[in-house]
Amino acid sequence: MYILKLFSTFLKVNLQQDLAYRADAIVNMVMSVIGTGWDLLGLSIIFANTKEIGGWGPSELIALMGVWRLVNVMMATIVWPNTEKFNTGVRDGSLDYTFLQPVNSQLLISITRMVVWRVFDFAIAVALIIAGMTSGNVITSPPLVAAFLALTFSGAAIIYSLWITLISFTFWFTKFDNSVTIMAALMDAGRYPAQVYPYWLRALITFIIPIAVATTVPLQALRGELMGWQIIGFLVIGAAAVFLSSRVWKAGVRRYSGASS
Amino acid sequence: MFAIYKRLWLVNWAEQWQYRANLLMYLAFWLVSPIVYLAVWTTIANAQGSINGFTAPDFVAYYMMLLIVDIATSDITIHIFGYKIMDGSLSNELILPIHPVLMKVLVNNLAFKALQMMALAPIWLILYVLYQPVFAITVTHVLLAIPAIALGFMLQFFAGATITCIAFWTTRVWSISDFYSNIFRLLAGQFVPLALLPAFMQSASQVLPFRLALYFPVQLLLGKLSLEETLLDLGLQVVWCVILFVLFRLVWRAGLKKYAAVGA
Repeated sequence: MYILKLFSTFLKVNLQQDLAYRADAIVNMVMSVIGTGWDLLGLSIIFANTKEIGGWGPSELIALMGVWRLVNVMMATIVWPNTEKFNTGVRDGSLDYTFLQPVNSQLLISITRMVVWRVFDFAIAVALIIAGMTSGNVITSPPLVAAFLALTFSGAAIIYSLWITLISFTFWFTKFDNSVTIMAALMDAGRYPAQVYPYWLRALITFIIPIAVATTVPLQALRGELMGWQIIGFLVIGAAAVFLSSRVWKAGVRRYSGASS
Repeated sequence: MFAIYKRLWLVNWAEQWQYRANLLMYLAFWLVSPIVYLAVWTTIANAQGSINGFTAPDFVAYYMMLLIVDIATSDITIHIFGYKIMDGSLSNELILPIHPVLMKVLVNNLAFKALQMMALAPIWLILYVLYQPVFAITVTHVLLAIPAIALGFMLQFFAGATITCIAFWTTRVWSISDFYSNIFRLLAGQFVPLALLPAFMQSASQVLPFRLALYFPVQLLLGKLSLEETLLDLGLQVVWCVILFVLFRLVWRAGLKKYAAVGA
Protein backbone atom coordinates (compact mmCIF):
# COMPACT_ATOMS: atom_id res chain seq x y z
CA MET A 1 0.00 0.00 0.00
CA TYR A 2 2.73 2.44 0.91
CA ILE A 3 4.51 1.55 -2.34
CA LEU A 4 1.48 2.92 -4.19
CA LYS A 5 1.53 6.05 -2.07
CA LEU A 6 5.24 6.52 -2.77
CA PHE A 7 4.66 5.93 -6.45
CA SER A 8 1.87 8.48 -6.68
CA THR A 9 3.97 11.03 -4.80
CA PHE A 10 6.83 10.64 -7.26
CA LEU A 11 4.34 10.77 -10.10
CA LYS A 12 3.03 14.08 -8.80
CA VAL A 13 6.53 15.56 -8.37
CA ASN A 14 7.60 14.46 -11.84
CA LEU A 15 4.39 15.68 -13.40
CA GLN A 16 5.04 19.09 -11.87
CA GLN A 17 8.59 19.04 -13.25
CA ASP A 18 7.39 18.07 -16.72
CA LEU A 19 4.69 20.71 -16.67
CA ALA A 20 7.44 23.31 -16.43
CA TYR A 21 8.39 22.23 -19.95
CA ARG A 22 4.91 22.01 -21.48
CA ALA A 23 6.04 23.15 -24.94
CA ASP A 24 8.76 20.53 -24.87
CA ALA A 25 6.26 17.79 -24.00
CA ILE A 26 3.92 18.83 -26.80
CA VAL A 27 6.76 18.92 -29.33
CA ASN A 28 7.78 15.45 -28.14
CA MET A 29 4.25 14.11 -28.59
CA VAL A 30 4.04 15.51 -32.11
CA MET A 31 7.42 13.95 -32.86
CA SER A 32 6.17 10.61 -31.49
CA VAL A 33 3.23 10.63 -33.90
CA ILE A 34 5.50 11.54 -36.82
CA GLY A 35 8.01 8.89 -35.70
CA THR A 36 5.27 6.25 -35.62
CA GLY A 37 4.12 7.24 -39.11
CA TRP A 38 7.72 7.10 -40.27
CA ASP A 39 8.21 3.60 -38.77
CA LEU A 40 5.01 2.40 -40.45
CA LEU A 41 6.33 3.84 -43.71
CA GLY A 42 9.47 1.74 -43.18
CA LEU A 43 7.30 -1.37 -42.72
CA SER A 44 5.31 -0.51 -45.84
CA ILE A 45 8.57 -0.29 -47.82
CA ILE A 46 9.44 -3.80 -46.65
CA PHE A 47 6.01 -5.17 -47.53
CA ALA A 48 5.96 -3.41 -50.90
CA ASN A 49 8.77 -5.81 -51.78
CA THR A 50 7.57 -8.97 -50.07
CA LYS A 51 4.48 -10.66 -48.63
CA GLU A 52 6.16 -11.94 -45.49
CA ILE A 53 9.45 -11.86 -43.69
CA GLY A 54 10.59 -14.98 -41.88
CA GLY A 55 6.98 -16.20 -42.08
CA TRP A 56 5.57 -13.04 -40.44
CA GLY A 57 3.02 -10.87 -42.22
CA PRO A 58 2.43 -7.09 -42.01
CA SER A 59 -0.15 -7.19 -39.21
CA GLU A 60 2.15 -9.31 -37.07
CA LEU A 61 5.02 -6.90 -37.59
CA ILE A 62 2.75 -3.99 -36.60
CA ALA A 63 1.91 -5.82 -33.37
CA LEU A 64 5.62 -6.54 -32.87
CA MET A 65 6.34 -2.84 -33.37
CA GLY A 66 3.78 -2.12 -30.65
CA VAL A 67 5.46 -4.50 -28.20
CA TRP A 68 8.88 -3.13 -29.10
CA ARG A 69 7.64 0.40 -28.48
CA LEU A 70 6.17 -0.73 -25.15
CA VAL A 71 9.63 -1.83 -24.02
CA ASN A 72 11.02 1.45 -25.33
CA VAL A 73 8.43 3.40 -23.35
CA MET A 74 9.61 1.65 -20.19
CA MET A 75 13.21 2.53 -21.03
CA ALA A 76 12.41 6.15 -21.84
CA THR A 77 10.08 6.67 -18.88
CA ILE A 78 12.16 5.24 -16.07
CA VAL A 79 15.34 3.46 -17.16
CA TRP A 80 17.29 6.19 -19.01
CA PRO A 81 16.39 9.15 -16.76
CA ASN A 82 17.11 7.18 -13.59
CA THR A 83 20.37 5.80 -14.98
CA GLU A 84 21.49 9.36 -15.50
CA LYS A 85 20.52 10.28 -11.96
CA PHE A 86 22.13 7.13 -10.57
CA ASN A 87 25.44 7.71 -12.36
CA THR A 88 25.56 11.28 -11.09
CA GLY A 89 24.72 9.98 -7.61
CA VAL A 90 27.63 7.54 -7.62
CA ARG A 91 30.04 10.15 -8.92
CA ASP A 92 29.23 13.01 -6.56
CA GLY A 93 28.07 10.95 -3.59
CA SER A 94 24.48 12.20 -3.59
CA LEU A 95 23.45 8.53 -3.65
CA ASP A 96 24.12 8.62 0.12
CA TYR A 97 20.82 10.45 0.60
CA THR A 98 18.96 7.74 -1.30
CA PHE A 99 20.24 5.06 1.07
CA LEU A 100 19.34 7.18 4.10
CA GLN A 101 15.65 6.99 3.20
CA PRO A 102 13.68 4.35 5.10
CA VAL A 103 12.45 2.86 1.81
CA ASN A 104 13.59 -0.01 -0.40
CA SER A 105 16.51 1.57 -2.24
CA GLN A 106 15.93 -0.37 -5.46
CA LEU A 107 12.40 0.98 -5.69
CA LEU A 108 13.66 4.46 -4.94
CA ILE A 109 16.34 4.55 -7.64
CA SER A 110 13.87 3.05 -10.14
CA ILE A 111 11.10 5.62 -9.86
CA THR A 112 12.65 8.87 -8.65
CA ARG A 113 12.60 10.23 -12.19
CA MET A 114 9.63 9.51 -14.43
CA VAL A 115 9.03 11.16 -17.77
CA VAL A 116 5.29 11.42 -17.37
CA TRP A 117 4.28 12.57 -20.87
CA ARG A 118 5.55 9.21 -22.17
CA VAL A 119 2.08 7.92 -21.23
CA PHE A 120 1.24 9.21 -24.69
CA ASP A 121 3.80 6.86 -26.27
CA PHE A 122 2.36 4.06 -24.18
CA ALA A 123 -1.05 4.72 -25.76
CA ILE A 124 0.46 4.65 -29.24
CA ALA A 125 2.16 1.33 -28.49
CA VAL A 126 -1.08 -0.22 -27.20
CA ALA A 127 -2.95 1.09 -30.25
CA LEU A 128 -0.37 -0.53 -32.54
CA ILE A 129 -0.68 -3.86 -30.72
CA ILE A 130 -4.48 -3.79 -30.96
CA ALA A 131 -4.35 -2.74 -34.62
CA GLY A 132 -1.91 -5.53 -35.43
CA MET A 133 -3.93 -8.15 -33.55
CA THR A 134 -7.32 -7.26 -35.04
CA SER A 135 -6.25 -6.67 -38.65
CA GLY A 136 -5.09 -9.37 -41.01
CA ASN A 137 -4.65 -13.03 -40.28
CA VAL A 138 -3.25 -13.20 -36.76
CA ILE A 139 -4.92 -16.26 -35.27
CA THR A 140 -5.78 -15.52 -31.67
CA SER A 141 -7.85 -17.02 -28.88
CA PRO A 142 -8.37 -15.74 -25.31
CA PRO A 143 -5.75 -18.10 -23.79
CA LEU A 144 -3.18 -17.02 -26.39
CA VAL A 145 -3.90 -13.35 -25.69
CA ALA A 146 -3.48 -14.04 -21.97
CA ALA A 147 -0.14 -15.76 -22.62
CA PHE A 148 0.87 -12.81 -24.81
CA LEU A 149 0.09 -10.28 -22.08
CA ALA A 150 1.85 -12.33 -19.40
CA LEU A 151 4.97 -12.76 -21.57
CA THR A 152 5.02 -9.07 -22.51
CA PHE A 153 4.96 -8.18 -18.84
CA SER A 154 7.61 -10.73 -17.86
CA GLY A 155 9.77 -9.74 -20.86
CA ALA A 156 9.73 -6.13 -19.71
CA ALA A 157 10.55 -7.34 -16.19
CA ILE A 158 13.58 -9.24 -17.55
CA ILE A 159 14.88 -6.11 -19.31
CA TYR A 160 14.31 -4.10 -16.12
CA SER A 161 16.19 -6.73 -14.09
CA LEU A 162 19.09 -6.65 -16.50
CA TRP A 163 19.24 -2.90 -16.03
CA ILE A 164 19.26 -3.23 -12.22
CA THR A 165 22.03 -5.83 -12.50
CA LEU A 166 24.13 -3.66 -14.81
CA ILE A 167 23.90 -0.56 -12.64
CA SER A 168 24.60 -2.70 -9.54
CA PHE A 169 27.91 -3.70 -11.12
CA THR A 170 28.93 -0.05 -10.77
CA PHE A 171 29.43 -0.80 -7.06
CA TRP A 172 32.15 -3.32 -7.93
CA PHE A 173 33.63 -1.77 -11.07
CA THR A 174 33.43 2.01 -10.90
CA LYS A 175 34.02 2.41 -14.62
CA PHE A 176 30.97 0.32 -15.51
CA ASP A 177 28.46 3.13 -15.92
CA ASN A 178 28.36 2.93 -19.70
CA SER A 179 27.35 -0.72 -19.91
CA VAL A 180 23.76 0.48 -20.09
CA THR A 181 24.66 2.13 -23.41
CA ILE A 182 24.98 -1.30 -24.97
CA MET A 183 21.34 -2.01 -24.05
CA ALA A 184 20.28 1.14 -25.85
CA ALA A 185 22.33 0.24 -28.91
CA LEU A 186 20.85 -3.25 -29.15
CA MET A 187 17.24 -2.09 -28.74
CA ASP A 188 16.97 -1.62 -32.51
CA ALA A 189 17.34 -5.36 -33.01
CA GLY A 190 13.92 -5.84 -31.36
CA ARG A 191 12.07 -4.23 -34.27
CA TYR A 192 12.02 -7.42 -36.34
CA PRO A 193 11.37 -11.08 -35.53
CA ALA A 194 14.53 -12.68 -34.15
CA GLN A 195 14.22 -15.59 -36.61
CA VAL A 196 15.43 -13.23 -39.34
CA TYR A 197 18.82 -12.67 -37.73
CA PRO A 198 21.99 -14.74 -38.08
CA TYR A 199 22.45 -17.22 -35.22
CA TRP A 200 25.08 -15.16 -33.34
CA LEU A 201 22.92 -12.03 -33.25
CA ARG A 202 19.90 -14.12 -32.25
CA ALA A 203 21.93 -15.70 -29.43
CA LEU A 204 23.10 -12.24 -28.34
CA ILE A 205 19.60 -10.76 -28.12
CA THR A 206 18.14 -13.90 -26.54
CA PHE A 207 20.69 -14.80 -23.88
CA ILE A 208 22.96 -11.80 -23.23
CA ILE A 209 20.76 -8.71 -23.78
CA PRO A 210 17.38 -10.48 -24.01
CA ILE A 211 15.48 -7.99 -26.13
CA ALA A 212 14.08 -10.82 -28.27
CA VAL A 213 12.57 -12.39 -25.13
CA ALA A 214 10.67 -9.15 -24.53
CA THR A 215 9.55 -8.61 -28.14
CA THR A 216 9.63 -11.70 -30.39
CA VAL A 217 8.64 -14.22 -27.72
CA PRO A 218 5.29 -12.62 -26.73
CA LEU A 219 4.37 -12.37 -30.41
CA GLN A 220 5.27 -16.03 -30.90
CA ALA A 221 2.87 -16.87 -28.10
CA LEU A 222 0.17 -14.82 -29.80
CA ARG A 223 0.77 -16.74 -33.02
CA GLY A 224 0.37 -20.00 -31.10
CA GLU A 225 3.94 -21.10 -31.80
CA LEU A 226 4.86 -21.75 -28.19
CA MET A 227 4.08 -24.88 -26.18
CA GLY A 228 2.58 -24.53 -22.71
CA TRP A 229 5.84 -25.55 -21.03
CA GLN A 230 7.76 -22.93 -23.01
CA ILE A 231 5.39 -20.19 -21.89
CA ILE A 232 5.70 -21.30 -18.27
CA GLY A 233 9.48 -21.56 -18.72
CA PHE A 234 9.75 -17.94 -19.88
CA LEU A 235 7.55 -16.75 -17.01
CA VAL A 236 9.74 -18.64 -14.52
CA ILE A 237 12.85 -17.04 -16.07
CA GLY A 238 11.19 -13.65 -15.68
CA ALA A 239 10.44 -14.21 -12.00
CA ALA A 240 13.96 -15.57 -11.42
CA ALA A 241 15.49 -12.52 -13.13
CA VAL A 242 13.55 -10.14 -10.90
CA PHE A 243 14.58 -12.10 -7.78
CA LEU A 244 18.26 -12.47 -8.72
CA SER A 245 18.66 -8.85 -9.79
CA SER A 246 17.29 -7.61 -6.48
CA ARG A 247 19.83 -9.86 -4.69
CA VAL A 248 22.65 -8.43 -6.83
CA TRP A 249 21.43 -4.93 -6.03
CA LYS A 250 21.42 -5.64 -2.27
CA ALA A 251 24.91 -7.16 -2.44
CA GLY A 252 26.09 -4.13 -4.37
CA VAL A 253 24.59 -1.69 -1.90
CA ARG A 254 26.50 -3.42 0.92
CA ARG A 255 29.73 -2.62 -0.94
CA TYR A 256 28.84 1.03 -1.42
CA SER A 257 31.08 3.34 0.56
CA GLY A 258 30.07 6.76 -0.74
CA ALA A 259 32.06 9.31 -2.68
CA SER A 260 31.23 12.41 -0.72
CA SER A 261 32.51 11.77 2.79
CA MET B 1 45.58 28.40 -37.46
CA PHE B 2 47.03 25.03 -38.40
CA ALA B 3 48.98 24.92 -35.14
CA ILE B 4 45.75 25.38 -33.20
CA TYR B 5 44.10 22.46 -34.98
CA LYS B 6 47.19 20.33 -34.43
CA ARG B 7 47.26 21.09 -30.69
CA LEU B 8 43.52 20.49 -30.35
CA TRP B 9 43.94 17.20 -32.15
CA LEU B 10 46.67 16.03 -29.75
CA VAL B 11 44.55 16.94 -26.72
CA ASN B 12 41.40 15.34 -28.11
CA TRP B 13 43.17 12.22 -29.27
CA ALA B 14 44.60 11.68 -25.77
CA GLU B 15 41.18 12.42 -24.26
CA GLN B 16 39.45 9.87 -26.48
CA TRP B 17 41.93 7.16 -25.48
CA GLN B 18 41.06 7.79 -21.87
CA TYR B 19 37.49 6.75 -22.61
CA ARG B 20 38.28 3.83 -24.93
CA ALA B 21 35.94 1.41 -23.14
CA ASN B 22 33.02 3.82 -23.59
CA LEU B 23 33.96 4.17 -27.25
CA LEU B 24 33.42 0.48 -27.82
CA MET B 25 29.93 0.82 -26.34
CA TYR B 26 29.13 3.72 -28.63
CA LEU B 27 30.40 1.78 -31.62
CA ALA B 28 27.51 -0.64 -31.07
CA PHE B 29 25.11 2.16 -32.11
CA TRP B 30 26.64 2.21 -35.58
CA LEU B 31 26.93 -1.56 -35.83
CA VAL B 32 23.52 -2.84 -34.81
CA SER B 33 21.13 -1.25 -37.29
CA PRO B 34 23.13 -1.97 -40.47
CA ILE B 35 23.42 -5.61 -39.38
CA VAL B 36 19.68 -5.71 -38.58
CA TYR B 37 18.70 -4.22 -41.94
CA LEU B 38 21.18 -6.49 -43.70
CA ALA B 39 19.50 -9.49 -42.06
CA VAL B 40 16.01 -8.26 -42.94
CA TRP B 41 16.74 -7.61 -46.62
CA THR B 42 18.87 -10.70 -47.25
CA THR B 43 16.10 -12.83 -45.71
CA ILE B 44 13.60 -11.34 -48.14
CA ALA B 45 15.99 -11.54 -51.09
CA ASN B 46 16.79 -15.17 -50.32
CA ALA B 47 13.08 -16.05 -50.10
CA GLN B 48 12.32 -14.41 -53.45
CA GLY B 49 15.58 -14.80 -55.37
CA SER B 50 15.90 -11.05 -55.79
CA ILE B 51 14.11 -7.76 -55.05
CA ASN B 52 13.95 -5.48 -58.10
CA GLY B 53 17.25 -6.92 -59.26
CA PHE B 54 18.90 -6.76 -55.81
CA THR B 55 20.20 -10.18 -54.77
CA ALA B 56 21.31 -11.22 -51.27
CA PRO B 57 25.05 -10.66 -52.12
CA ASP B 58 24.16 -7.14 -53.34
CA PHE B 59 22.64 -6.32 -49.95
CA VAL B 60 25.64 -7.81 -48.14
CA ALA B 61 28.08 -5.68 -50.14
CA TYR B 62 25.89 -2.60 -49.66
CA TYR B 63 25.59 -2.80 -45.88
CA MET B 64 29.20 -3.86 -45.34
CA MET B 65 30.31 -0.74 -47.22
CA LEU B 66 27.71 1.34 -45.40
CA LEU B 67 29.19 0.31 -42.02
CA ILE B 68 32.44 2.10 -42.88
CA VAL B 69 30.99 5.16 -44.63
CA ASP B 70 28.35 5.70 -41.94
CA ILE B 71 30.99 6.11 -39.23
CA ALA B 72 33.23 8.15 -41.52
CA THR B 73 30.56 10.73 -42.38
CA SER B 74 28.52 10.78 -39.16
CA ASP B 75 28.52 13.76 -36.86
CA ILE B 76 28.19 13.80 -33.06
CA THR B 77 28.03 17.56 -32.46
CA ILE B 78 24.68 17.38 -30.70
CA HIS B 79 26.03 14.84 -28.20
CA ILE B 80 29.26 16.66 -27.37
CA PHE B 81 28.02 20.21 -27.61
CA GLY B 82 24.24 20.30 -27.06
CA TYR B 83 24.47 20.07 -23.27
CA LYS B 84 26.95 22.96 -23.12
CA ILE B 85 24.33 25.33 -24.49
CA MET B 86 21.69 23.88 -22.19
CA ASP B 87 23.67 24.00 -18.92
CA GLY B 88 25.57 27.19 -19.70
CA SER B 89 29.09 25.72 -19.74
CA LEU B 90 29.42 27.25 -23.20
CA SER B 91 30.28 30.53 -21.43
CA ASN B 92 33.74 29.23 -20.50
CA GLU B 93 34.47 28.33 -24.10
CA LEU B 94 33.35 31.64 -25.53
CA ILE B 95 36.19 33.33 -23.63
CA LEU B 96 38.78 31.27 -25.53
CA PRO B 97 40.17 32.77 -28.74
CA ILE B 98 39.08 29.72 -30.75
CA HIS B 99 35.69 28.92 -32.25
CA PRO B 100 33.89 26.47 -29.92
CA VAL B 101 32.20 24.63 -32.79
CA LEU B 102 34.26 25.16 -35.92
CA MET B 103 37.49 24.30 -34.10
CA LYS B 104 36.95 22.45 -30.86
CA VAL B 105 33.88 20.39 -31.70
CA LEU B 106 35.16 19.66 -35.19
CA VAL B 107 38.45 18.23 -33.92
CA ASN B 108 36.65 16.35 -31.16
CA ASN B 109 34.44 14.80 -33.86
CA LEU B 110 37.46 13.76 -35.90
CA ALA B 111 39.35 12.25 -32.96
CA PHE B 112 36.25 10.28 -31.96
CA LYS B 113 35.87 9.12 -35.55
CA ALA B 114 39.49 8.03 -35.87
CA LEU B 115 39.27 5.87 -32.78
CA GLN B 116 35.89 4.46 -33.82
CA MET B 117 37.48 3.43 -37.12
CA MET B 118 40.28 1.63 -35.29
CA ALA B 119 37.73 -0.22 -33.16
CA LEU B 120 35.60 -1.01 -36.20
CA ALA B 121 38.47 -2.56 -38.19
CA PRO B 122 38.70 -5.92 -36.37
CA ILE B 123 34.90 -6.21 -36.08
CA TRP B 124 34.50 -5.43 -39.76
CA LEU B 125 37.04 -8.13 -40.65
CA ILE B 126 35.10 -10.69 -38.61
CA LEU B 127 31.90 -9.65 -40.39
CA TYR B 128 33.79 -9.88 -43.69
CA VAL B 129 34.67 -13.51 -42.97
CA LEU B 130 31.09 -14.25 -41.83
CA TYR B 131 29.32 -12.61 -44.78
CA GLN B 132 31.95 -12.84 -47.56
CA PRO B 133 30.90 -9.70 -49.43
CA VAL B 134 32.06 -9.28 -53.03
CA PHE B 135 33.35 -5.81 -53.88
CA ALA B 136 34.26 -4.58 -57.36
CA ILE B 137 36.47 -1.80 -56.09
CA THR B 138 39.08 0.08 -58.13
CA VAL B 139 41.77 2.62 -57.22
CA THR B 140 39.83 5.37 -59.08
CA HIS B 141 36.78 4.73 -56.91
CA VAL B 142 38.82 4.92 -53.73
CA LEU B 143 40.52 8.15 -54.82
CA LEU B 144 37.16 9.74 -55.71
CA ALA B 145 35.63 8.46 -52.48
CA ILE B 146 38.11 10.36 -50.32
CA PRO B 147 36.70 13.82 -51.19
CA ALA B 148 33.17 12.36 -51.30
CA ILE B 149 33.47 11.07 -47.72
CA ALA B 150 35.20 14.23 -46.47
CA LEU B 151 32.49 16.44 -47.99
CA GLY B 152 29.80 14.05 -46.75
CA PHE B 153 31.13 14.50 -43.22
CA MET B 154 31.36 18.29 -43.53
CA LEU B 155 27.78 18.33 -44.79
CA GLN B 156 26.56 16.38 -41.77
CA PHE B 157 28.77 18.41 -39.43
CA PHE B 158 27.28 21.74 -40.56
CA ALA B 159 23.76 20.28 -40.48
CA GLY B 160 24.34 18.82 -37.01
CA ALA B 161 25.87 22.06 -35.71
CA THR B 162 22.92 24.06 -37.03
CA ILE B 163 20.44 21.69 -35.39
CA THR B 164 22.38 21.84 -32.11
CA CYS B 165 22.12 25.64 -32.20
CA ILE B 166 18.35 25.29 -31.90
CA ALA B 167 19.16 24.67 -28.22
CA PHE B 168 19.73 28.44 -27.90
CA TRP B 169 15.97 28.87 -28.27
CA THR B 170 14.47 25.64 -26.95
CA THR B 171 15.83 24.14 -23.75
CA ARG B 172 16.10 20.64 -25.16
CA VAL B 173 17.04 19.48 -28.64
CA TRP B 174 16.85 15.69 -28.41
CA SER B 175 13.46 15.34 -30.07
CA ILE B 176 14.60 17.44 -33.02
CA SER B 177 17.74 15.37 -33.33
CA ASP B 178 15.63 12.17 -33.21
CA PHE B 179 13.48 13.62 -35.96
CA TYR B 180 16.55 14.33 -38.07
CA SER B 181 17.96 10.83 -37.62
CA ASN B 182 14.57 9.33 -38.53
CA ILE B 183 14.57 11.22 -41.82
CA PHE B 184 18.20 10.37 -42.37
CA ARG B 185 17.50 6.67 -41.85
CA LEU B 186 15.09 6.44 -44.77
CA LEU B 187 16.36 9.16 -47.12
CA ALA B 188 20.12 8.66 -46.82
CA GLY B 189 20.03 4.92 -47.47
CA GLN B 190 20.60 3.49 -43.97
CA PHE B 191 17.38 1.49 -44.07
CA VAL B 192 17.43 0.29 -47.65
CA PRO B 193 19.26 1.15 -50.88
CA LEU B 194 17.40 4.21 -52.19
CA ALA B 195 16.56 2.44 -55.47
CA LEU B 196 14.08 0.28 -53.51
CA LEU B 197 12.12 3.19 -52.02
CA PRO B 198 8.65 3.98 -53.37
CA ALA B 199 8.76 6.44 -56.29
CA PHE B 200 7.73 9.57 -54.35
CA MET B 201 10.36 8.98 -51.68
CA GLN B 202 13.01 8.32 -54.28
CA SER B 203 12.40 11.67 -55.91
CA ALA B 204 12.40 13.33 -52.48
CA SER B 205 15.73 11.69 -51.65
CA GLN B 206 17.18 12.90 -54.95
CA VAL B 207 16.35 16.54 -54.21
CA LEU B 208 17.31 16.55 -50.51
CA PRO B 209 20.94 16.58 -49.35
CA PHE B 210 20.77 13.51 -47.05
CA ARG B 211 21.80 10.98 -49.69
CA LEU B 212 24.97 12.98 -50.43
CA ALA B 213 26.26 12.25 -46.93
CA LEU B 214 25.90 8.48 -47.09
CA TYR B 215 24.30 6.87 -50.12
CA PHE B 216 26.48 8.67 -52.67
CA PRO B 217 29.88 7.65 -51.17
CA VAL B 218 28.60 4.08 -50.66
CA GLN B 219 27.41 3.78 -54.26
CA LEU B 220 30.67 5.30 -55.44
CA LEU B 221 32.73 2.74 -53.53
CA LEU B 222 30.53 -0.07 -54.84
CA GLY B 223 31.39 1.07 -58.37
CA LYS B 224 27.77 1.85 -59.28
CA LEU B 225 28.34 5.41 -60.52
CA SER B 226 29.73 6.75 -63.77
CA LEU B 227 32.36 9.48 -63.72
CA GLU B 228 29.78 12.12 -64.77
CA GLU B 229 27.37 11.14 -61.99
CA THR B 230 30.23 11.19 -59.50
CA LEU B 231 31.44 14.65 -60.47
CA LEU B 232 27.90 16.01 -60.45
CA ASP B 233 27.29 14.69 -56.92
CA LEU B 234 30.66 15.99 -55.72
CA GLY B 235 29.65 19.41 -57.03
CA LEU B 236 26.29 19.13 -55.26
CA GLN B 237 28.11 18.22 -52.04
CA VAL B 238 30.18 21.41 -52.27
CA VAL B 239 27.07 23.50 -52.91
CA TRP B 240 25.22 22.02 -49.94
CA CYS B 241 28.27 22.39 -47.69
CA VAL B 242 28.39 26.10 -48.53
CA ILE B 243 24.64 26.52 -47.96
CA LEU B 244 24.73 24.72 -44.61
CA PHE B 245 27.89 26.56 -43.54
CA VAL B 246 26.27 29.93 -44.19
CA LEU B 247 23.11 28.75 -42.43
CA PHE B 248 25.16 27.65 -39.44
CA ARG B 249 26.95 31.03 -39.22
CA LEU B 250 23.61 32.86 -39.28
CA VAL B 251 21.97 30.62 -36.66
CA TRP B 252 25.10 30.68 -34.49
CA ARG B 253 25.28 34.47 -34.46
CA ALA B 254 21.58 34.88 -33.76
CA GLY B 255 21.81 32.17 -31.12
CA LEU B 256 24.73 33.78 -29.30
CA LYS B 257 22.77 37.00 -28.97
CA LYS B 258 19.91 35.07 -27.47
CA TYR B 259 22.31 33.12 -25.22
CA ALA B 260 23.96 36.27 -23.88
CA ALA B 261 20.56 37.62 -22.97
CA VAL B 262 19.59 34.50 -21.01
CA GLY B 263 22.92 33.43 -19.56
CA ALA B 264 23.99 36.78 -18.12
